[in-house]
Amino acid sequence: MKWFQKTEKEMTLDDVLDDLSQSADFVIYQNKASRIPYTLIYFASIIDPAKLHRVVLTKLNESETKSLEELEGIIPIENLEISSDPIKVQERLMSGYLAVRLNKSQKVLLMDLSLIKSRDLSPPEIEFSVMGPKEGLIEDLQTNMNLIRRRIPHPKLRMKKVTVGTVSKTKIIVTYIEGTASEQNVNTVVQRLEDLDFDLIADSSVIGQMLEDNSLSVFPQMIDTERTDRITGHLNYGAVAILVEGSSNALIGPINFGQLLVSFEDYYLGWNIASFFRIIRMMSILMSIVATPLYVAVLTYHFELFPSKLLATLISSRSDIPFIPVIEVLFLEITIDLLREAGARMPSKVGQTLGIVGGIVIGTAAVEASLTSNILLIIVALSALASFTTPVYRMTNTIRFLRYPLILFAQFLGLIGIALFGLFVMVHLIRLTSLGSPYLAPLYPPRVKDWYDSFFRLPYVLQKKRSHFFRTEKVSRFFDKKEKKPNSLDFDEQ
Amino acid sequence: MENSPRKEILVSSFLIMFIIHSNQVGVGILGFPRYINQYTGQDGWIVVLITGLIFHVFVWMMYVILGDEREDIIDLQKKWFGSWIGGLLNLLVMIYLLLGAVVILRTFIEVIQAWMFPELKTWIPVLMFLLLTYYVLAGGFRTVVGVSFFGVIFPLWLLITAVSPAKYASFTNLLPVFDHSLKDFVMGTKQMTLSFLGAEILLFAYPFLKNPKSSRVWAHIGIGGTTIIYLIVMIISIAFYSEEQLQQTIWSTLISWKMVELPFVERFEYIGITFWCFVIFPNVCLNIWAATRIGKKTLHIKQKYFSIVLLIVVFISCVLITTREQVDMINTITASIGTYFFYIYIPIIFLYAVVRRRVTR
Repeated sequence: MKWFQKTEKEMTLDDVLDDLSQSADFVIYQNKASRIPYTLIYFASIIDPAKLHRVVLTKLNESETKSLEELEGIIPIENLEISSDPIKVQERLMSGYLAVRLNKSQKVLLMDLSLIKSRDLSPPEIEFSVMGPKEGLIEDLQTNMNLIRRRIPHPKLRMKKVTVGTVSKTKIIVTYIEGTASEQNVNTVVQRLEDLDFDLIADSSVIGQMLEDNSLSVFPQMIDTERTDRITGHLNYGAVAILVEGSSNALIGPINFGQLLVSFEDYYLGWNIASFFRIIRMMSILMSIVATPLYVAVLTYHFELFPSKLLATLISSRSDIPFIPVIEVLFLEITIDLLREAGARMPSKVGQTLGIVGGIVIGTAAVEASLTSNILLIIVALSALASFTTPVYRMTNTIRFLRYPLILFAQFLGLIGIALFGLFVMVHLIRLTSLGSPYLAPLYPPRVKDWYDSFFRLPYVLQKKRSHFFRTEKVSRFFDKKEKKPNSLDFDEQ
Repeated sequence: MENSPRKEILVSSFLIMFIIHSNQVGVGILGFPRYINQYTGQDGWIVVLITGLIFHVFVWMMYVILGDEREDIIDLQKKWFGSWIGGLLNLLVMIYLLLGAVVILRTFIEVIQAWMFPELKTWIPVLMFLLLTYYVLAGGFRTVVGVSFFGVIFPLWLLITAVSPAKYASFTNLLPVFDHSLKDFVMGTKQMTLSFLGAEILLFAYPFLKNPKSSRVWAHIGIGGTTIIYLIVMIISIAFYSEEQLQQTIWSTLISWKMVELPFVERFEYIGITFWCFVIFPNVCLNIWAATRIGKKTLHIKQKYFSIVLLIVVFISCVLITTREQVDMINTITASIGTYFFYIYIPIIFLYAVVRRRVTR
């Protein structure tokens, strides 16, 4: 590529402008009628015409100066700069700058007139919650930064900029609270972002996949979230968040497995209720993965496992079915995934109706045609429902995916097959890291002091310390100033 | 000290509790009461306590042997006996460790074949367990310890199931106490040693602990945990079975699981065996891990490659053992090697270590 760079360096401003003028939206406007003849150069599609007319043109037509330096003092716009580097001028023009040129000189005055069109704020759709703020990120980076900074008006909230992508030149903001987030984590993230070499970054999830420690794993190693309260909450614990231009999701890392089960609503409900829901979620994940493989294992190999009464019910519901259990299960599981996938691809209103109708009609018909048993239908429907209780969307997919190899293992070795696959997942999770932090923490390596906000959530008064997981230097969150009630008071004396 | 582990891969000292405990509890617990009771009858539970106490002494000895430096037994033997004799001793220990891995894996697969899959070819589960073992070893010592940690935590709830046979047990079976001769107790203790084997892992894991000296308490707690679990199993077995019944039952713990009654589960031992995979697996991992350490330090082969060799050796040995008698035989052989290891070898190097340290000081 050396020859290419060489020619680029030798290019003059006029060559650059010639090259750019092949686009229809590129404008070179020469004004010879005013007191000083000037040329305006810009892309009409990405600048703000109102600013151009109201501010720039009026000032230019009024002024009598003949140098760019004096013009720089007159025009009331931030981000003014004078440059004679054609490459830099080209880059600036591409990102919505306007260039003012006097007398065909090589120097131009650049000013930021970029216009960003984006949608309004809207409530989060994927991570819905009944309680708590209904504010989600949008595709505009400036707005997202604004949302976060407004929630953490802290002088140490840092936002580092990195640009990634040879074609898309995507702006990425790495944000963290200095002193709370460990320097090591910040450096890891920034380092990995700077090392990225890719052409087009379409979304934050692309970045997420590239930053992951183990890209072979099906488990998400960073949380994608659109909720601003979740982002700020994690920042406060000591996590690092990554905002990507053009993406309505932020990435949070490092995370551990427990955080995938946390809905941020847990913090708005009472601690006892929230803990209960977390346990429910954990059990539903387990059930969702294991239920149908257990059906296959038990009915293929170990039907003695069931008491005779239950076995009779099962057998009678399966008596007309011509398939072995694994075929029956795979048929229904794939049907459910089909419905889910179809529902996700269709316009939302149609998708919902079709999903429900399709589910009920196909399910009932399959039972009546004795292709599947009633009991299996119940199990499959329940486990599908349970898989959607996880608050992190990517985890839902992981759970749905894990089921298939497990069904095959169950068919192959029965309960032992399930245990072997369980061992495999266990070892995988032990080995997995997120930005270098252990994925199963605080369970393994065991740190009992961090358990206050993991499988259950204790009251806020007891959450005085930040979790060791984030390797933060600022360990304590607050100091308990309240006076303790004297213990000597009896029941009726308080 | 040449190969002392990097700081990042050290584990917290208290995890030695899980390492020792998980390496001790294996397949033996599913049927050990029969072997003890043929000597001591209803006094079997005393034998469990005696053996537990003896192993506390062994742990104490091992800590004395290991000393204050961050060295494991492999380094020490090389340092004390030279690279030839020390290397030979290390290789012998390696064979013993491998034998331990083979015995536990093959015996467990024997259980699976006897109870769940009579037609199952031995090589299939062996291959899967060993592939998983390689995956664990590739993750380093932290992963091995993680496996033994969960290998203790996951199956822990099975202790509750001891309640079910206890409902049908007559605890008067335990009487009279101390009704056997000293010789019977000695024989029983010798038999019991097989179930307590595995504490030797301390000799290898020691330099990987963050704070080796303060791990002492935790190692003793690990032994204590093993003793308590064996005690519970022993007492339930004595109380649940009559003496003649127990002598005819090979897998007494498994059979007493049949007493568990749940509304949707009839034969609970299937669930028990399934969860027992989590108990067996750390034993295999820890033994082979320690063996690869010996290969690394004595034969200077990278663990990366040596572990594959060892896994192939274990695989072939497991497949070659086909009948119940052979399984029994290799159990007996390993038990006697283990007994010699603990009752003769460890005291000898303990004395050697003490004398040598006195002299050099």
